Amino acid sequence: MLRTTGGFWDPVLWIIAFIVIAIIAYIIRGFGRKDYKKGEQAKPYLSGIEEPSKEEVYVKAGNIYWGFIEALRGYYDAMMKIHTGIINDYVAWFVGITVILFIAIFLVEVI
Amino acid sequence: MISKAFKRALWVFHVNSGSCNGCDIEIIAALTPRYDAERFGIKLVGSPRHADVLAFTGPITKDMVDKVKRIYEQTPDPKVVLVVGACAIGGGVFHESYHLEGPIERIIPDAKCIYVPGCPPRPEAIIQGVAKAWEYLEEVEKK
Repeated sequence: MLRTTGGFWDPVLWIIAFIVIAIIAYIIRGFGRKDYKKGEQAKPYLSGIEEPSKEEVYVKAGNIYWGFIEALRGYYDAMMKIHTGIINDYVAWFVGITVILFIAIFLVEVI
Repeated sequence: MISKAFKRALWVFHVNSGSCNGCDIEIIAALTPRYDAERFGIKLVGSPRHADVLAFTGPITKDMVDKVKRIYEQTPDPKVVLVVGACAIGGGVFHESYHLEGPIERIIPDAKCIYVPGCPPRPEAIIQGVAKAWEYLEEVEKK
């Protein structure tokens, strides 16, 4: 038992309290209706509308930048089109930009 | 004694399935101090999951069919459907309209319905309907 100025802490007492509360909760649960159906009854009530999937209503962390993205929509629309997620496209961009840079450097040197 | 008192305190969930609001106003009137249905424990609840009785007002429009079915399924058994008003019972002035799917028996054939006629029905009639629902649920409990 740990005694402090604010009281005492006894893990055994805590475990006993937890068990007693769990038994009381189980007894109360036993009073519940046995014919309760799972399925539609267990779903949240949304004015009778079907519950959308979690993916549909999930708010991504990127949503905190909504105002920023909305303000620069023209820029972001163009950038998002470029970002296809396909590695071949990124490599193609890399090669293309490198060629343009080489040509620019070459022209600067010659001129 | 407590469980007996709870059984008599019916909780009602109100669904407007295309009503003109006439019946809805009368349901609200049944809860006002003049009629005071809450003294019997009859009250409106915000979710069908807490309800014993579903009160439908209005003919059931095509848009409301899936919602009506879902709300019925979400209500725990045993339950009673209170069909309030002429429109909910037989379509009323909207009878055979192109956009109706009602009455309720067509959509939920196995529902136990209690009919409260009128256009709109008086609050006393609605309270009597809920009392009939209570009588039915008491019979079900005995079985």
